[in-house]
Amino acid sequence: MKILNKVKEKIKKIMRAKPVSLKTKKNKPASAERTPSSNRDIPGFQETIAVNTKFSHPEDMRARSVMPQELPSCYEQDKIILQVRDPRWLHTYWELRNQTIEGLKNKLGDDFYRAKKILRVYDVTNIVFNGFNANSFFDIQYNDFANSWYIDTAGPGRSWCVDLGLMLTDGRFITILRSNVVSTPLDSPSWITDEEWMIPEDIFARLYGMGFGLGKSSPVGRGWQQRLKQGLFSSGISSSPVRKEVKERSFWMKVDCELIVYGATEPDAKVTVQGQPINLRPDGTFTLRYYLPDSKQVIPVKATSADKLEERTITPIVTRETR
Amino acid sequence: MPKGYLCLVLHGHLPFVRHPEHEDFLEEDWLYEAITETYVPLITVFEGLVADGIDFRITMTLSPTLISMLSDSLLQERYLKHINKLIELSQKEMERTRWQESFRRLAEMYFSRFSHARDIFQKYNCNLVNAFKKFQDLGKLEIITCGATHGFFPLMDVCRDSVRAQVKVAANHYESVFGRRPRGIWLPECGFCPGHDEILREAGIRYFFTDSHGLLHGTPRPKYGVFAPVYCKGTGVAAFGRDLESSKQVWSSIEGYPGDYNYREFYRDIGFDLEFDYIKPYIHPDGVRINTGIKYYRITGSGNHKEPYVAEWARDRAADHAGNFMFNRQKQASYLNDLMGKPPIIVSPYDAELFGHWWYEGPMWLDFLFRKVACDQNEIRMITPSEYLAENPRNQVITPSLSSWGYKGYSEMWLQGPNDWIYRHLHAASERMSELVRSFPGAEGLLRRALNQALRELLLAQSSDWAFILGTGTHTSYAVRRTKDHLLRFNRIYEDIKSNNINENWLSDIEYKDNLFPNIDYQVHQ
Repeated sequence: MKILNKVKEKIKKIMRAKPVSLKTKKNKPASAERTPSSNRDIPGFQETIAVNTKFSHPEDMRARSVMPQELPSCYEQDKIILQVRDPRWLHTYWELRNQTIEGLKNKLGDDFYRAKKILRVYDVTNIVFNGFNANSFFDIQYNDFANSWYIDTAGPGRSWCVDLGLMLTDGRFITILRSNVVSTPLDSPSWITDEEWMIPEDIFARLYGMGFGLGKSSPVGRGWQQRLKQGLFSSGISSSPVRKEVKERSFWMKVDCELIVYGATEPDAKVTVQGQPINLRPDGTFTLRYYLPDSKQVIPVKATSADKLEERTITPIVTRETR
Repeated sequence: MPKGYLCLVLHGHLPFVRHPEHEDFLEEDWLYEAITETYVPLITVFEGLVADGIDFRITMTLSPTLISMLSDSLLQERYLKHINKLIELSQKEMERTRWQESFRRLAEMYFSRFSHARDIFQKYNCNLVNAFKKFQDLGKLEIITCGATHGFFPLMDVCRDSVRAQVKVAANHYESVFGRRPRGIWLPECGFCPGHDEILREAGIRYFFTDSHGLLHGTPRPKYGVFAPVYCKGTGVAAFGRDLESSKQVWSSIEGYPGDYNYREFYRDIGFDLEFDYIKPYIHPDGVRINTGIKYYRITGSGNHKEPYVAEWARDRAADHAGNFMFNRQKQASYLNDLMGKPPIIVSPYDAELFGHWWYEGPMWLDFLFRKVACDQNEIRMITPSEYLAENPRNQVITPSLSSWGYKGYSEMWLQGPNDWIYRHLHAASERMSELVRSFPGAEGLLRRALNQALRELLLAQSSDWAFILGTGTHTSYAVRRTKDHLLRFNRIYEDIKSNNINENWLSDIEYKDNLFPNIDYQVHQ
């Protein structure tokens, strides 16, 4: 139990340290824009604008022929979906029906146009979220044309929910849609141990490192990061896991030589080239094609008549010399 | 008692590519190449081991789409045509290289390999699934299933009905082919999301695999790391974790065996190297140069200069590497045994196509490894997951972590700029499918056919292969087309059903094109 408590202490320290590490991000361009209202009262969290901003280009809505060639741009529903990309990043996409937007415009009047379009990201770890009891939240302002977003939560091992909404000029937040709840995975070992299956910390550290192929003395805290660096991931059907071709210089040239030997005789004759029998076409012609290395090739072509009474030999001599 | 167990897993999968509407279709070559370069060589290795009385164990996924293609008569016919052309080409090559001894010997090697591939193919009635079934029935090979069309489950989590359909269609298909339920599953891309174990349990599946962090970052901590399986909390389905040390030796671009300079160079193929008019009948009819499978060079070095391949040298290296792999597993097992106080299981999964297709000497390496493990030592024992669980029924209970074996270990490969647009369509189709199942329980006749085809189209659209290709950002047009075509077909069926206006001619046409899973039951999507 001593070890267990020690680990728990360590984890607590790390958890306490988190807000600090988050704040250091302020200087990075990725999280430059802030909405002051959202994080004022919530120490430890600030909203981040996703670096990897991506909004899909709505495809043309074409008249439905017998078999359309393009997918519809929307499915006439009000919906927001949240998915986990990795321990840190979430992806969300949404769709609003025109009538929903028109309804909001009617209800809010000019306020609708002045309102900011907001994704409110709630940390709902270990709670049943009712809209008001989130552990914390942060806001992301998205632009008019977006219908999807990547969200940097910087929070492995936590649960999340997103509201698509409007921030009115008076600071009120209106929820239009609420997403499903998702949980980001841990990016390090769990601090929860199981009494029956408990293991001393140093032995776990060794097993942990070995599981990642890092040998016997890899520090647990860095295991996952080192694993990432090794890049040992499956690469599917279209690229080789083995090795990529090295292009030494972009300009290049290749030259090689082949030799074609061809001829004709009576269709029923037997023909040999350099002593090897060859097949004739039905009309008695033949064509042979050889790779020609730098060398002198003496190529006796011998035809023997079907009755074996007559014979002809013709011998081309070819020299290849490459300079 | 051995010091430890070695569980080799080969994941055999190809997306469903079958285009009866075209005489020649470039992407169908994926299957033909895999048959010639991977599946026939593996079967040959297994046959040799059985003939020589060598006991061995290996676990292999045969994905339902791969099985469907291997069993399809049109593709079988086309494969024969394909291999006959290769045999013809290798004969021409034997003549063309007459004045170049080192190449002529290689041309002869290809001629005999291709002829052998045709013999094996015909020996098993043109259906290689028969061969794999034979080794499973002999107790040497454990065949596991996969998602029906290799959908990436973590990104289907918002529509678990679809995850359930992927699993149930696969398990039912497996049963129809192998005459028993599958014991294990390879989750597509090794993608596990907590909660999906419940769906596996419903389908009677006993175990699956995760990448190492799936277990190592599970909760609570796994006492034995990845070196013993765990049971998922609440369901009791077992999870085996991937060992990265053994993966690295085979797979790493830097330290991996396949990069040895004596091994065959993958990127120099006569399809690209030879004079156009000569090679034209053996490349794409449009004149696009492609790999033929005849490759004459060894890796040689890190630069572009390549020397001819020498089969004997490569064979010697494969034997050395098999010995090295075994030695390292012995050391690893013995060390872990001391640490754990019981025999570890070292799980080494690889893409099946790594063996033979990418790493030409891979099957030979496996052959050496099986023989050495059986004859030269008794510290490690090869085992299948089922055997391990039967012998070691008591394991820790944890919840494994969300994980995959794709780039960066989670979902990013299938969820990034170039491919994230697909999910709003895929999820909408999943919802519509569930709606159809609720609205039309126990349908008969034409309506039933339409509902079944709707599920086939949805499953085909979900193949992770399309998202993967989109994610790589090169040669994406086929993947875009396939994603859209299946979704468009699905949407049309949905609308036709809703408006009670099913066009039987059109339906028959797509049943003929997308003909996999003949016994599918749309009602599994719920």
